[in-house]
Formats: sequence, C-alpha cells, structure tokens
Amino acid sequence: MKCKAVHKKLIFYIEGSLPEKEMQQIAGHLRECPECLSFSEDLKKTLEIIGLEKSSKVNPFFYTRVKAKLENTEEPEIVKTPAFVRILQPVAFSILLLLGIYTGVRIGQIPQTKNSVTLTDVEMIPFLNEFSEEPIEAFLTD
Amino acid sequence: MDERGIIKNLQEGNEEAFRQLVENYQNMVVNTCFGLVHNKEDAEDIAQEVFIEVYRSVKNFRSGAKLSTWIYRIAVNKSLNYIRDNKRKKGFLNIGEKNHGGVVPLAEGKEIPGYELENIQRAKMLHEAIDSLPENQKVAFTLNKYEELSYQEVSQVMEVSLSSVESLIHRAKKRLQKKLYACYKKKCI
Repeated sequence: MKCKAVHKKLIFYIEGSLPEKEMQQIAGHLRECPECLSFSEDLKKTLEIIGLEKSSKVNPFFYTRVKAKLENTEEPEIVKTPAFVRILQPVAFSILLLLGIYTGVRIGQIPQTKNSVTLTDVEMIPFLNEFSEEPIEAFLTD
Repeated sequence: MDERGIIKNLQEGNEEAFRQLVENYQNMVVNTCFGLVHNKEDAEDIAQEVFIEVYRSVKNFRSGAKLSTWIYRIAVNKSLNYIRDNKRKKGFLNIGEKNHGGVVPLAEGKEIPGYELENIQRAKMLHEAIDSLPENQKVAFTLNKYEELSYQEVSQVMEVSLSSVESLIHRAKKRLQKKLYACYKKKCI
C-alpha cells in the first residue's frame, strides 16, 4: 500500500473503523514506513486532545449566574393597545394627509390679480433672443 | 424529578425544576459550546444564554420530543451565531492589530489542567483545523466526537438524514486529516 493511500485512511485506521483487511494492510505499511508511522502517532496524539478537553467539572456558580442573567434580561411586558386606537390612528393620519393635499391644490389654483407685476411672453422675448438687438456682424467688426 | 416532571414544572415557572434542569444539562451544554467555539469562558457565556432561551421557550416545547435533543439544538444554534458575530467583529478589530504569529498565549492552555506546552500547540492546531471545516461538518463532528452522540442522535439534533450525517462526518475527518498532515509537514509542533 502506498503512503498517499495510507494517509487518506489514517484517521479511520486510528479509530478502528476500517474493514479488517484494510486495517491489516495499513498496519503492515506502518511497520515498514517510519515516515507514515511518525505521522500516525502525531495524528493520534492530536486527536486525543479532544478527550482531554472534555470537562467533567461543574462550575458551582453557573446556576447563580444564569439566574442573575435571567433576572437582568427579563422581557418587558407587551402592552396591548385597544383595537379602536389601532384603527383610529391610521384613519386620522390619512384624513390629515388628504386635507393637506387638498389645501395645497387649492392654493395652487388661486388666480393672479390684475395689479400684480409679471413679465409677459412678449416682454421676455427680447431678453431670450438678442440676435435682432445685436447682429453678429456688428459684434465681429467692433 | 424525571424529564417529564421537569418540563411540566418548568412550564409552570417552577424555579426548582429550572435549577435541576441546569444541573442535569450544564456539562452537556458547556462541552457542546466549547467544541464549537474553543474557549471555556465564551462557552460558559453561551451556555448561560442557552438556558435562558430554554426557560423562555419551554412553553412551546412539544411534550413528545426529547428534551436533550432540543437543548443540543439551541446550544448549537447559539454557538454558531456567536461564531458568526465574532467573525464580523474580528474583521474590524484585525485592522491595526499585531499578528501574534499564531502562538497561543500560555494562559489559555493553563485553563485546562494537565496541559503541557506541546498539548497547547496541538490543541491550537486541532481547533484551527476544526474551525476550517464547513459549518455542517463542524457541527456533526463536534456532536459526534465531543459529545459522543451516535449518528442517529446527531441526525435528530441537526434534523438531517442519517446518511447525511455519515457523509458529513466522513468528509469532516478527511478534511481534518489533510489539514493536520499539512501542519505535520510544516512541523507546526
């Protein structure tokens, strides 16, 4: 069995979860290959860390801390608003909004008085079209 | 008090039942959280959140289901949420921070009795390898290896099929092995 093939199955070999034939093949390879044997031992030691990390110690203050945290983070009571308030509020806001729009439209429709001073189209044209006032030839000859 | 009695009393808000629940499942929850976050203090903080969630949600617990499976599920979800939140925060905190060269401070190892320096480095290597696994594989591997749950129990916690769990754990082991071999070649220890 080649080293690459052994490396792929080493973790399963360490757990003993391979078929008997493969277990024997890998065991045979490890007897002959110091490199693979070294990695196998290294891998085994690393996986044993999991067993060391599992703690059976009970923190005696754990429950006290949970209780304190529970009391500090108690959910606030949900105050239910009455049904008529829940319906009345949006209706009132809608009426106000419509009133505002109506008022705006009415203000926009107010007619202009005769006394107001505004520039008419006829009076505006000379300012928009200056070519008749100052021909280009006069400008270039100056 | 048996499991049914604990649930019934807990649903009525009985404090003694809650205390017993915490005593019965404290180790299980802390170990599960530790298997995912790899820090004892964080694991205990998350475990406290788990029990608070259990207390608040016990009214919705279906009496036919297994209590331990439900608690495992909450513990896994809380731990994964913690990891995701931590990753986001780390992204900002890493700016301007010195790279410690991947060396684990000795204090972290001293939390666990019987650790030598070599074991500290092995633990760090193992944690990095487990952290590099995709989420599903990481959860399945942790529940199977740290909590010694059977494949059937893992499938109930994760709410996936048995064949999915077998596949997840198989792939997780292969990935871990590959990662650890790369470390071995680089002589990380």
